[in-house]
Amino acid sequence: MVCIRQATIEDLLAMQACNLMCLPENYQMKYYFYHMLSWPQLLFVAEDYGGSIVGYVLAKMEEDPSEPCHGHITSLAVLRSHRKLGLATKLMSAAQAAMDQVFGAEYVSLHVRRSNRAAFNLYTSTLGYQIQDIEAKYYADGEDAFDMRKLLRQPQPKKHHHHHHHGPGGCCSHDAPVAATGSSPQSSGSPDKKAIT
Amino acid sequence: MGSSLPPKEANLFKVIVKSYETKQYKKGLKAADSILKKFPEHGETLSMKGLTLNCMDRKSEAYELVRRGLKNDLKSHVCWHVYGLLYRSDREYREAIKCYRNALRIDPDNIEILRDLSLLQAQMRDLSGFVETRQQLLSLKPNHRMNWIGFAVAHHLNSNSSKAVEVLEAYEGTLEDDYPPENERYEHNEMLLYKISLFEECGMLDRALEEMQKKESKIVDKLSFKEQMASVLFKLGRFDESESIYRSLLFMNPDNYKYFIAVQKCLGLYSDNGQYSAADVERLSALYNSLKEKYAWSSAVKRIPLDFLEGEKFQEAADNYVRPLLTKGVPSLFSDLSPLYEHPGKANILEQLFLKLEDSIRDSGCFPGCPQKEPPSTLLWTLFLISQHYDRRGQYDIALNKIDEAISHTPTVIDLYSVKGKILQHAGNFTAAAALADEARSMDLADRYLNSECVMQMLQADQVGLAEKTAVLFTKDGDQHNNLHDMQCMWYELASGESYYRQGDLGRALKNFLAVEKHYADMTEDQFDFHSYCLRKMTLRAYVSMLKFQDRLHAHEYFHKAAAGAIRCYMKLHDSPTKSSKEENDEISKLPPAQRKKLRQKQKKAEARAKREAEEKQEDETASSNSSKSGKKQHARPVDLDPHGEKLIQIEDPLAEATKYLKLLQNNSSDSLETHILSFELSMRKQKVLLAFQAVKQLIKLDEDNPDSHRCLIKFFHKINSLPGPVTDSEKLIWNVLEAERPDMRQLHGKSLVEVNRSFLEKHNASLMHRAAGAEMMYLLEPNKKMEAINLIEDSTNITSSGHSLLGPVKTWQIQDCIDVHKLLETVFGDQNVANRWKARCAEYFPYSTYFEGIKSAISTYAIDHSLESPPENGIASNPHLKSKDGEQGSLNGTLHIVDDLSSLSIR
Repeated sequence: MVCIRQATIEDLLAMQACNLMCLPENYQMKYYFYHMLSWPQLLFVAEDYGGSIVGYVLAKMEEDPSEPCHGHITSLAVLRSHRKLGLATKLMSAAQAAMDQVFGAEYVSLHVRRSNRAAFNLYTSTLGYQIQDIEAKYYADGEDAFDMRKLLRQPQPKKHHHHHHHGPGGCCSHDAPVAATGSSPQSSGSPDKKAIT
Repeated sequence: MGSSLPPKEANLFKVIVKSYETKQYKKGLKAADSILKKFPEHGETLSMKGLTLNCMDRKSEAYELVRRGLKNDLKSHVCWHVYGLLYRSDREYREAIKCYRNALRIDPDNIEILRDLSLLQAQMRDLSGFVETRQQLLSLKPNHRMNWIGFAVAHHLNSNSSKAVEVLEAYEGTLEDDYPPENERYEHNEMLLYKISLFEECGMLDRALEEMQKKESKIVDKLSFKEQMASVLFKLGRFDESESIYRSLLFMNPDNYKYFIAVQKCLGLYSDNGQYSAADVERLSALYNSLKEKYAWSSAVKRIPLDFLEGEKFQEAADNYVRPLLTKGVPSLFSDLSPLYEHPGKANILEQLFLKLEDSIRDSGCFPGCPQKEPPSTLLWTLFLISQHYDRRGQYDIALNKIDEAISHTPTVIDLYSVKGKILQHAGNFTAAAALADEARSMDLADRYLNSECVMQMLQADQVGLAEKTAVLFTKDGDQHNNLHDMQCMWYELASGESYYRQGDLGRALKNFLAVEKHYADMTEDQFDFHSYCLRKMTLRAYVSMLKFQDRLHAHEYFHKAAAGAIRCYMKLHDSPTKSSKEENDEISKLPPAQRKKLRQKQKKAEARAKREAEEKQEDETASSNSSKSGKKQHARPVDLDPHGEKLIQIEDPLAEATKYLKLLQNNSSDSLETHILSFELSMRKQKVLLAFQAVKQLIKLDEDNPDSHRCLIKFFHKINSLPGPVTDSEKLIWNVLEAERPDMRQLHGKSLVEVNRSFLEKHNASLMHRAAGAEMMYLLEPNKKMEAINLIEDSTNITSSGHSLLGPVKTWQIQDCIDVHKLLETVFGDQNVANRWKARCAEYFPYSTYFEGIKSAISTYAIDHSLESPPENGIASNPHLKSKDGEQGSLNGTLHIVDDLSSLSIR
């Protein structure tokens, strides 16, 4: 049995380790801090019975005022050793619910590698995402990303509790890492920027 | 600022400041130069020019200019502020604070400087200073929300929660009733939840409850709200109400086992150690039966009862739990059950159950008593489960049989190969384990998890070069060879460091350990930007918990391992300094002083040249990659001048370096035996008698029965007894302290060390590792009793543990312990015959072990895929037996296996 719960700051190192273990897109610790300190409600972990983190979802709210209020899945991972438990679905559902309830998100977006069929199937058939766009050469190795979306604020057929079988292979991968330094609390955070008056 | 300048230049000065803020450094530099043309000694301009250059990576010029500017205008708060910013950018926070304070002496109400100062105070945890500065900011600008919040948080951090609440309430008093507007609902919600948590923290539970009831409509984070409400009600003793909230939380998320535990607590049915009376077990069963009906899809509700049920009921529940998961083929089933192996008796019940299921499926294709045919894969997953069971019990032969059968049943299931690799790893054949992990990896090259597991196994097998080549398949970052370091991949660095250490390459080992240490320093630095960010975002609960997390950051296990590894490297360097650096120093010291100086200068110049060239080369590379890559900015990386740690091992005083890391361990991991063992080892080398004694005292306090604690105790007093009497005053002082403390050591009471050792041996007569420690100490105290000591070890028996398995005896000795004993016989006792006898004996217990060269250890039996086989790594033959022999004297028991268990590094 695996516990699904909101992540705490104590989980971040284990989330990073989990990410490095199974996904090709990796982030420095500061990026995890940034998520946790901006939208603490949007991070969830899957913790196995021995207390190890075996999956997580890292999500955020987009804050571009020119777009409608919406959330974004930065990264989702489940260790290969813990497949077939429906963890990815549970993690995603938890993050989506929080985006909706806490932040009033209209929709949620994510990126997925074109070649990642297992994740693509999860998003489309289990979770109801649709392709919005294709971002050419989005990933560092030149692979395209599907830009996918799911509406949160429209009535949608919600079914049963999930124990879906996802295809084989490492589950899900997401955002290309942000350029080395530009990850965190941008702008006014650092005194280097303003200073003298 | 810029006040002393004529209008035209004063405007130019504004340009510099503006350009700095907008990062248009070249423009700023130009403006500065045109002022300096007319007023070459203008202090503030010199300072600003320096600050600008600092951002252009011209550090030494920057410091020079800023200092000159300050000298020319000591009365300028700008010059002081700039000096502070310069220090800040180099993480010299204490110096920066001094500068800001000087600036504030000149301009006490300067908001910018006060704000910068407050950030540093938060960073350095100068909490009373932080409160003071935050108070000043609030009184200067009370109409800023951030200043109220900052003042409240400062009080909270300074352990004054009730004052923090007061400040927040005063702030709320300034708000309109219909606050917040739609776009600030989240922030206001966070503030309210923070305040409620403060009430709870300072025990004002009724106020917390009242506040929640009053503000419920303004709180958008309903999950936090409910959790907090349930927690407060519980603390108030209102268990019924608390329970009903937890049940509603379970309705929202039946996979959160914390809620189940909370419900148990509300019902008075929870014990920390998992021990329950028969009556309680009855009630618990009833509880979970009723919960099962409500939350039928929850797996927690089925798994938790396995913890408290015993005997037949346990077997029945386990049976019901396991069947559907075997049918479905859930690969994590064993790891889910494995905590039960700590419960006495349950492993045997599980074994019976598993074998019964296996038999039934083989015979009838069905589970016992069940008419429904299982799919063919059920047998596969049952064998998979059983093989992990026997692996866990150390019965590797059976485990391998079962997994081999599973593989021949369905050769395409990758997980089977991973598990087979792990069994071989546990059985002591790392090379075969790596080959199997590589086989698994090659079956799905797109799966990084398989790649990581393979890399781990390769590192365990000391195939570092091959491991890197394999890891790189996923970690290429543009032109860069491998981004594992940039991405802070610490398990990889630790496992590499440990492998290099085993192979005696201390430079590369240190390089890796210190890399991990650097990540932790960077994480500490990471918090800086959030001191102001979170006050604006209002994520105050998360912010405060982040600060607390940071205060304990260095207690994390990766840091602990890295620091321990580094200390061991430094001690080894001390014990046997590297040839190259020693010889070099000898040669240099033979030269006359003038020539020596010249040579040193020449070396420095050569280094500088190498650095310049490397930087230029890198610039070219980044330039070309920038043009090729659309928009993505490549951050220029400083060049690593010592990629293999060759300079690291030429350090002059390794023990002083080791002490730095030991202090971090002592401050953050004081409850770990290892910390004090290292402290003992280090202090003995530094001849710091009292510090060594402290370490012994800590060890005895933590675990007096531990073999290493015993070793340290005996070694210490043996050493003391053998020293000549004190001569100098300070020696006398030390002796007096020891004399005064000695009676407090219970173990020593009126006994000689020989007697102490004897009673230790008597007390732990049945344990191999205790006997080995006792024997080693016997030989130390009475060298003439060498044969008796050796007999003590050889007469140890590998008894069968109480949990007798159905398919053969479970022996108690651990392979790593036996290896340690072998090394002890070889090094400390220096008796090759005895060591060989020991080895032959252990080869029977561990036939797969390559170390003991057991009959089943020949690699050819297991190697499958030869495509990635490569010549020996690092010029060392890949025979672990040869490598691990190199002298490990000087350590406690002749062994220094830092990674004793690879699984503690990995995540599973």
